[in-house]
Amino acid sequence: MSVKYIPVQWNRNKWLYNGVMLAGVVLFLWLFLYVTPGVLGHERAITPQTHNARAFGACAFMMLTVILCIGPLARLDRRFLPLLYNRRHFGVMTAFVALTHAGYIVNWYFAFSATPKFEAVLAANTSFGQIAGFPIEALGVFALLCLLILAATSHDFWLKFLTPPVWKRLHYLIYAAYVAVVAHVTLGVLQDQQNHLLTVIVIASATCVGGLHLAAWRADMREARLQASGAWVTIGQAEQMREGFARIGLLPTGDRVAVFLMDGQLSAISNACAHQNGPLGEGKIISCLVTCPWHGFQYDVRSGRSPAPFTEMVPTYRVRVQNGAVQVHPDANPPGTYVDPVPLRAMPEAAL
Amino acid sequence: MEIAEVIITFARAWGWIGAAVAAVFLTIGLERIDPDARGAYAFRPLLIPGVLLLWPLVMWRWWQIESSATGWAARYRPVRRAHGAAAIALSAGLALVLIAGLGARQTWPGDVAPVQISAGKNP
Repeated sequence: MSVKYIPVQWNRNKWLYNGVMLAGVVLFLWLFLYVTPGVLGHERAITPQTHNARAFGACAFMMLTVILCIGPLARLDRRFLPLLYNRRHFGVMTAFVALTHAGYIVNWYFAFSATPKFEAVLAANTSFGQIAGFPIEALGVFALLCLLILAATSHDFWLKFLTPPVWKRLHYLIYAAYVAVVAHVTLGVLQDQQNHLLTVIVIASATCVGGLHLAAWRADMREARLQASGAWVTIGQAEQMREGFARIGLLPTGDRVAVFLMDGQLSAISNACAHQNGPLGEGKIISCLVTCPWHGFQYDVRSGRSPAPFTEMVPTYRVRVQNGAVQVHPDANPPGTYVDPVPLRAMPEAAL
Repeated sequence: MEIAEVIITFARAWGWIGAAVAAVFLTIGLERIDPDARGAYAFRPLLIPGVLLLWPLVMWRWWQIESSATGWAARYRPVRRAHGAAAIALSAGLALVLIAGLGARQTWPGDVAPVQISAGKNP
């Protein structure tokens, strides 16, 4: 959050999350290296360097698959939200695992020629015009570069500095990286597989990632765009409001608004958290404060301000009740602007 | 000069410029644009890799903040509207890669005699 930046903000949940993640990585590598070499179909003898490279490569692929599944799963089912909480640490660890894979490859396959090793990676295969034998090194370098960019910009400073929309767009690189990784694997190791287990795993992983993203997008599509009647926009009917919770509406401007009912009174704030634009309207109010379901940032729903000493703010909206309909004015107030809550059963004039 | 050599030289130059930008930004710029960074030093080394990789973006945002070129509303426009295009592009890309890659495979679904895919220097 705000106040002074520190290198990493730790708490018990993050320690637990990272502990489980690290244990998973160690378990995967141990299984790959020592338990299942027979199952993995290493028909031809391979060097320890090659074996290590494959282990870390496979681990990075599986980690990336899990990371990409977490987002849409959390959109489709709130029970997966805890996995979203510390996904950035997951991403940073994935970048390090992928970097280790690249290190084994570069320092084994390209380290013993007269050509400098990094040049050799780029020059060893330049057959870009064919599918079979395509230079998978370029795909791997591209994916690794994407992962490094995402890991390098994972600190909260970057979110604030770049703004959440720019940061999010930058982090869409993860999709390009995943396609490149699947291509890297499919045009690489899968071309020479006698054992089809890896082929099945790669197809299942890619299908899972693609399918979940399409399903989450379809779920988002069902959210109706609200129609303006005059200047005000109807969010829902008074009887649809639940104490302590919000109704979310997509305004004609394209912005999302969250209208909360607290102690019988309505308040409206932007649905986009100032941290990562998480859906504030899906959070619950406790003592005037709504907690973002993604990372726990809190805001007073009347002013859009985080409690002191934090300084995050989100825009607020004017709200009114007209003939039993809860309406919002689509012109947002500057972030942190206090707006008097409106009684749910109030007369329209009182709201203005 | 080989293309690979050009790319490596370009990457080195990019990194050196990034290092220069990082030196100025992390010592002078950071405190000018972000009050939360004032007096906070331990986290700054963590930003170096990001500045090395993305120094043009860093300079652009630095200039934007210094000149107040963006309004506050831009911070609160989630890019969720782009999710649909991203989901379709991702799924289509994955399908294309799998079909093309597995289609080019010479040992699956049925074993066929391998063929040489490009002429080597040693016949």
